[in-house]
Amino acid sequence: MTESERSEGRGKKMDRREFLVGSGAALASGALAASVPGAAEASSKKSSYSKSTGYIVYDSRLCLGCQSCMFACSLTHEGVANPSLSRIQIIRDAPSFTKYPYDVVMSVCRQCVSPLCVQNCPTGACFIDKDNGNVRRIDQSKCIGCQKCIQACPHKPHRTIWDSVKRKSTKCDLCADAPYWNEKGGPDGKQACVETCPVNALKLVKKAPRQRDIDGYDVNLAPPPRKMEFPMMAPKPAAKKGGE
Amino acid sequence: MAKGYAGKILKINLTNKEISVIDTAKYEEYGGGVGMGAAIFWDLAVAPGDWDLQDAFDPRNVISLMSGPLAGTGVPGGGRTSVCGIASETFPTPLFHRTSFGGRFAMMLKFAGWDGVVIQGKADSPVWINIINDKVTIEDGNRLWGLDTYEAQDEITSAVVGRTRFGQQWQQIEKEYTTAMPQIVCIGPVGESMTRVAALIHGSGVSARTGGFGGVFGSKNLKAVSVIGTGGIAVADPAGVVDTRLWHTRNYPKIMYASPGTSACMPCINNDRKRNSYYGGESMCADEFWYMGKQQSGQMMGGDRSALMRGADVAIKWGICTWATKFGGAITLPVQNAPAAYKGMVPMEPGMGWYIKYLYELGVLGPGKKIDSYPLPMDEWDTLKFREVFCDAIARRVGIGEDLAEGFLEAVKKWGRLEEDMNAGTLRLPAWGASWHHSLPGVDWAYSYIFMSGDPVWHGFFGLNGGGAFGGPARYTAEELVEMMAKKVVPFDGDPIIFSNSWKGEEARKTGVYSPHKAKMLAWARRYAGFYNESMSICEMLLPSFISSSANGIAGPSPELEYRYYKAVTGNNHTFADTIEIGRKIWNMERAIRVMAGRHRDQEKFAPFMHMPGATFPIGGDKPVYRDGKWSFENQNDLYLDREGVEQFKTHFYKLEGWDVDTGWPTRKTLDGLGMKKVADVMAAEGKLGA
Repeated sequence: MTESERSEGRGKKMDRREFLVGSGAALASGALAASVPGAAEASSKKSSYSKSTGYIVYDSRLCLGCQSCMFACSLTHEGVANPSLSRIQIIRDAPSFTKYPYDVVMSVCRQCVSPLCVQNCPTGACFIDKDNGNVRRIDQSKCIGCQKCIQACPHKPHRTIWDSVKRKSTKCDLCADAPYWNEKGGPDGKQACVETCPVNALKLVKKAPRQRDIDGYDVNLAPPPRKMEFPMMAPKPAAKKGGE
Repeated sequence: MAKGYAGKILKINLTNKEISVIDTAKYEEYGGGVGMGAAIFWDLAVAPGDWDLQDAFDPRNVISLMSGPLAGTGVPGGGRTSVCGIASETFPTPLFHRTSFGGRFAMMLKFAGWDGVVIQGKADSPVWINIINDKVTIEDGNRLWGLDTYEAQDEITSAVVGRTRFGQQWQQIEKEYTTAMPQIVCIGPVGESMTRVAALIHGSGVSARTGGFGGVFGSKNLKAVSVIGTGGIAVADPAGVVDTRLWHTRNYPKIMYASPGTSACMPCINNDRKRNSYYGGESMCADEFWYMGKQQSGQMMGGDRSALMRGADVAIKWGICTWATKFGGAITLPVQNAPAAYKGMVPMEPGMGWYIKYLYELGVLGPGKKIDSYPLPMDEWDTLKFREVFCDAIARRVGIGEDLAEGFLEAVKKWGRLEEDMNAGTLRLPAWGASWHHSLPGVDWAYSYIFMSGDPVWHGFFGLNGGGAFGGPARYTAEELVEMMAKKVVPFDGDPIIFSNSWKGEEARKTGVYSPHKAKMLAWARRYAGFYNESMSICEMLLPSFISSSANGIAGPSPELEYRYYKAVTGNNHTFADTIEIGRKIWNMERAIRVMAGRHRDQEKFAPFMHMPGATFPIGGDKPVYRDGKWSFENQNDLYLDREGVEQFKTHFYKLEGWDVDTGWPTRKTLDGLGMKKVADVMAAEGKLGA
């Protein structure tokens, strides 16, 4: 059973966030793209894109909200610990006390099949990296800081990240270009966020998840429940009978 | 300056509303956390010489909320906020005390550009402090005064970032962006009325419980400190931080399993808390034990825990210290020759909540009795309603609440029962009025009670047993355990005898709990904890981890792991021994403050029950013992301490630390050797230097 299939029966009601995400996805190549200056020209360049060969799916019920992934991301990509520069955002509603499981929002780049960030970039800085499994990346040397990729991202909060010091955009590249990551990254390698998650609430999958809502990405990754063992409370074994 | 620091410390005087900046570099020699907090306390509260350090509620009290360099760098468990100052809770007098809390406050403080917040003075009306990056304001807190801690944090969050943005969008703060929420530490009604049993509360269940610093906030008319920041922290070796983390988790997998709904402090790997919910918030064992009466005890090990968690919610909302006021009565003592008072009545860990029930059953407390219980509904002691009335009575100082608000043993003293119940062993509070917490059979924990200001809250050596804390067979022999440990405790390495817990006869004095060897074990514990846990602010529930739970041998990742993190973040060229030496410096700074506040050898004594059968918590596992040239594990459920032996130990310990054996005061030679000449000068002027 795939993660997507397992997630079907979770019975999670659609809340306002999901509604917004779903609406954004529905607008993907339509109204929103047209509202961004320059988007029409960019989108006319290409109407379809090669799919990424890797996607990060996640389990917002399993997540500890510890944000280890955010630190791993900013450390490996930027060389500093800065959650604002992390390409994955784990937003925990503390201290406002939203009830579980809506207290954590996992904002993970979806490597969209129809990537509006790529489509709307006027300079080609946001591109499909064919050398790295078609991951959607931003080449900062070409980025002019127009923020169109940020405006075009249909997800809330947007998955393209604004670096206010460099005044350029950036986004998740599945660690294809992470200068401080000592492992092979990219869709065929390992990702710092996935590797550092203490509860395996992030996972790289090869098949494109369902695109129309978040359920394709927010899947059940929980391990089977394991019984806690307290040896002192275990019943004592019966004394062996002689001769056995 | 080393990496990992924000570079500046915020200083706020609430009396004159002055906001100023301390250069962190000035205190870098003390590492961070409590080290820096104590050194700043010395400079602001001790060195001027105009205060006797006796009243925790004096406006001259300086309370600091400090991070360490590892906070906000991705080091798991490295984000605790250290708190220190003169505590209100300790008995018989307020003492210099340090505590801490987890969560996300220290990290956010760093991202806002601050290594800590130092607060002195007293506002003339309720205020809260609002930190948004470099912008710091002292806000009117009248509207928040009287709110519980959940309501207060909600109100502040709304005031800082508005109500609708959670999870929806990035928040712009000047030219920067964040998806984060402000992180807040605050007090509830129990702190506002300057009680001595009030905690500092952060989020939905994180708290700094010991010391009664909630009352200190109340005395300053300070409801809360809120911080939100958008910056980052530079580290010396970013790849090294990540690699160290992966080395840890891949080689030393965690025993406890995550299940949906568990949570952790940022960015810890311990899934030991709960995600926000109505019941229990992020509360942990101490808060759940708070509610527990006998009939709820089974719920701790499974079943419906909702009642316990609702109880935890009450404690956190009111901002009460769940240690000092605990109701726990689950484990009584079936110890042979134990004092008559026990007889199945006195629990291991008595707190204020349990004690009033005890007196009620004795017939001396109740409606119209010698100790009038008004307004407590004593016949509903087991209920959540009782807990709420209990908190309300203390917060408003109504009826018996007026006595309880002054602290557990102060109330007992006022009721004329202190001597009787102390001598009977009923009041099982090891020292300085601090609640019981694993103080025996691990004597390093017990001794820390008397040399510090109560509970050290340090589990580092707690698990050095044959079998775990919950029993089960050991995977190693006693000899294998101590030989492994003896390699780790630099600079006292190579002496496995320091881990012998022999407590009877001449062996106890030669190689056991009263010996010079044991003094080294305690000294290492204080130095390690002072540096890595209290100043680098690594959660002591995560590290040290001395014993591996994996099949690859018995040696756990400590202390190599925390040292690697320290090096990767700061880039400092210290050896591990250097870091332990900084811990010694911090320990001596704490000692100097306590001496200036009146500490003397004669005061460093245990409560009577520690010298009686029944002193030991009976599920601590078997301890390693060296006897007749051989090692073995020994069940020490019957361990208690000999008064003369403790005095001998004190002499050994003072000698090892370079403190005067008659007074317990540090000598000039010791302080000068640590680069603390100015501290020695101040002590000399007051006649407080050891000979």
